[in-house]
Amino acid sequence: MCFPESIEEISAAVGIACRHRVPFVARGSGTGLAGGATPVGDPLVIVTTRMNRILEIDAADRVAWVEPGVCNLDLSRSARHLGLHYAPDPSSQQACSIGGNVGTNAGGPHCLRDGVTSAHVLAVDVVLADGVITRLGGLAPDTPGYDLRGCFVGSEGTMGIAGRIAVRLLPDPPAVRTLLLDFASVAAAAATVSGIIAAGIVPAALEMMDAPITRLVEDFVGAGYPRDAEAVLLVEVSGLPEGVAAEVSGIGQVGRDHGARHVRVAADDAERELLWKGRKSAFGAIARIAPDYYLHDAVVPRTRLVEVLARVREIAAAQDLLVMNVFHAGDGNLHPLLVFDAREPGIWERVHAAGNGIVRACVEAGGVLSGEHGIGLEKRDLMPLVFDPDDLDAQARLRDAFDPSGLANPEKVLPRGSRCGEATRAPEGTWV
Amino acid sequence: MTRLGFDPDELAACVGCGLCLPHCPTYRVTGLESASPRGRITAMRVVEEGMPLDDAFSTVIDECILCRGCEAACPSGVQYGHLAEAARERVARRRPPMRRLVEWVAFVAVLPRHSVLLACTWLLLVAQRLHLVPARLGLPRLSPRSLRTPIVPDGDPTAYLFTGCVMDAWQRDVHRAAVHVMRSCGAQVGLPTAGGDCCGALHAHAGRVGEARRLARRVMASMPGDAPIVVDSAGCGAAMKDYGRLLGGPAAAAFSARVQDFAEWVAARGAPPLRDTGITVVVQDPCHLRHVQHAEGSVRTILHDAYRLVETDDDGMCCGAGGAYAVTERDLATRVRDCKVAAIRAAAGAMPFLVASANPGCAMHLDAAGLDVRHPAELLAAALDDPKGAM
Ligand SMILES: Cc1cc2nc3c(=O)[nH]c(=O)nc-3n(C[C@H](O)[C@H](O)[C@H](O)COP(=O)(O)OP(=O)(O)OC[C@H]3O[C@@H](n4cnc5c(N)ncnc54)[C@H](O)[C@@H]3O)c2cc1C
Ligand code: SF4
Ligand code: SF4
Repeated sequence: MCFPESIEEISAAVGIACRHRVPFVARGSGTGLAGGATPVGDPLVIVTTRMNRILEIDAADRVAWVEPGVCNLDLSRSARHLGLHYAPDPSSQQACSIGGNVGTNAGGPHCLRDGVTSAHVLAVDVVLADGVITRLGGLAPDTPGYDLRGCFVGSEGTMGIAGRIAVRLLPDPPAVRTLLLDFASVAAAAATVSGIIAAGIVPAALEMMDAPITRLVEDFVGAGYPRDAEAVLLVEVSGLPEGVAAEVSGIGQVGRDHGARHVRVAADDAERELLWKGRKSAFGAIARIAPDYYLHDAVVPRTRLVEVLARVREIAAAQDLLVMNVFHAGDGNLHPLLVFDAREPGIWERVHAAGNGIVRACVEAGGVLSGEHGIGLEKRDLMPLVFDPDDLDAQARLRDAFDPSGLANPEKVLPRGSRCGEATRAPEGTWV
Repeated sequence: MTRLGFDPDELAACVGCGLCLPHCPTYRVTGLESASPRGRITAMRVVEEGMPLDDAFSTVIDECILCRGCEAACPSGVQYGHLAEAARERVARRRPPMRRLVEWVAFVAVLPRHSVLLACTWLLLVAQRLHLVPARLGLPRLSPRSLRTPIVPDGDPTAYLFTGCVMDAWQRDVHRAAVHVMRSCGAQVGLPTAGGDCCGALHAHAGRVGEARRLARRVMASMPGDAPIVVDSAGCGAAMKDYGRLLGGPAAAAFSARVQDFAEWVAARGAPPLRDTGITVVVQDPCHLRHVQHAEGSVRTILHDAYRLVETDDDGMCCGAGGAYAVTERDLATRVRDCKVAAIRAAAGAMPFLVASANPGCAMHLDAAGLDVRHPAELLAAALDDPKGAM
């Protein structure tokens, strides 16, 4: 394990690993939910927590250069006095690092309108698997050639390590309002989600929580979330004051048309922040019920939300497991959480059976495996569900182009046998 | 019960999400997982699973300031304070003999015996005058006049002021200010009778839980009746509010329910008339006030009429004092303090300022870094319409 303090030190560490043919794994804050930073075997773990300096904020161009270990929320805080913020806001934003966000192409509630990490990363100085430092992307609006930066974002440490990152900052909107709508059924809440989008409103964020998770979160924050609702929607709109006011009343109307029992509009920033604190604590608060959870991160077409949610409940019930749902409803990114106690004998089999069932149900409904958490170790062996052998081979070759040595975070993302004819190939490392 | 002596469910409550990391001062300055709450909980887990209780484990546990910033941030409700105190207790049993002796002298021979502590304080005062005490230790400048003049309690108390051990010896002027403000609020102020002069917080932190319990019983006996117990040291207040759990039983719980921080007590009664001093005050939240007692709001309530209050931008991060921590883990304590001092100076900007701190340990630690620190009671007393009063 090592703790580099500069990109040159990352490069030196990777260089040494490369010479001794030791695999290496990048690690940020370790909040990843797919096991991407989990060491397999005995690799060199390169931890970026000491690289937590914001190198430069250019307020005029709205660009910040940061080291990879900078914590997501700290970046927005440092830009606050300039009226700027960094838009991608994973619920783990108080802890996760920008490097980890780049690694997983992280999303967050406010990515509905503003886009996920990739849309906000302009350039990355990457340490490749042989220790060479190279810049992908650039500050110009459209850099010539292939978008290798786009390729790197979301590569989960398998194409090298980000050592310096240039991100776009957005101006703070002049007006922000947050609404909480509560419903007597999940179907009504889901119909409202579609209704809002159909009405031509694109909220900054549109989140749904079902009954069990709402009660749990309320126990932690005491923000006045309704304990008796079957589902709640947390909606945020922002922009110019007049437009925002119109959208607030529009959303309220759509909600009531679909049977919302209450529409609460947060009165001030303190109330807004409390509501968001609830939403963002949801995963962590699970342990109030049971010590372990298994989480999926599938995306389904918005129109099929109700049906998929019903399937998810059935599948969990068939294995006698409790499932809770908290998710980015606006883009159909589901996070079904299976809640259990790993000390119960035989529980893992049931959890895996339910997990696989849920993924299959999502894929059958036209969905994909991961919205934002990445594939890592955990979802790796599910990749063939969505990609045929040709797709996997193409991805493996792309990866090889970045890392011919195969030392960068091996065993992650792509299942064994992804490369055509891999079984017949000489062992890793002997053919370079 | 387990090897480290806590309920295994309490350990299982941590799901490893990492949301506590940024709130942990030792993680902030080191970037090390092993100096983070999640890392410490993992270490406890592997010890539970049979790894030896070795020096590495002791270091991991000792480096924790017990500020409980992580506990306040944890959405899973992990009771980190309980876990860490239990682990401390196990670790304390395997200290080298020399350290055990020093600790015994401090915890058993001096702190709970007020006359011995006062005698030591006189010696220290003399040493200070002879310039034998290095300034970096951060001891307050002891005053012979203050040490010589006891505080005289009122008869038939309507509220007690708990005076404590070190604080009564080293910072008695804070007590004087507190008594003055309490009287201005119309209270008759009682003091604990002999024996009730150490709350046991430092003992509990150092893993000496048995002694902490014994001291707690003495403190309870020293302030009978049902008058509220006002505490002007956030660390002592937090410990006394926890007697219910420490000792168990209805009497301890009832005693704990009477305990209030000085600011809480004044805020509930309404501050006496104050003049606007125009002075800038940066509020420092002692961890035991903010994360444990959740009473930091009251400090602002009572001061805001008289001072221009300024907040730091660090979510109430710990200053690194942590009871005896500033002495036992000096290097880390100093690095954590550097961050705090930078945040305080940044908050004040170009203005001359005072720092308000409701805990004597934090005050001394920050004072040693060159800040001018006052207790909220002193700030209030100075802003009373009649600052001299009937002292
Ligand atoms: C409570 C909770 C809520 C969450 N909510 C969200 C959410 O709303 N949206 C979301 O997208 N995710 C969410 N996550 C998942 C996680 O926080 C994100 O995936 C985050 O981006 C991981 O950042 P990290 O610094 O912890 O990275 P790590 O976990 O340390 O690493 C994640 C991956 O990135 C790679 N990596 C790390 N640093 C670098 C680098 N410098 N260069 C290249 N690769 C690197 C690692 O190898 C690994 O594959 C949540 C997690 C938790 C615990
Ligand atoms: S202590 Fe709480 S916040 Fe920290 S990792 Fe464990 S569950 Fe998460
Ligand atoms: S008590 Fe303080 S120092 Fe200890 S782990 Fe928690 S936040 Fe860190």
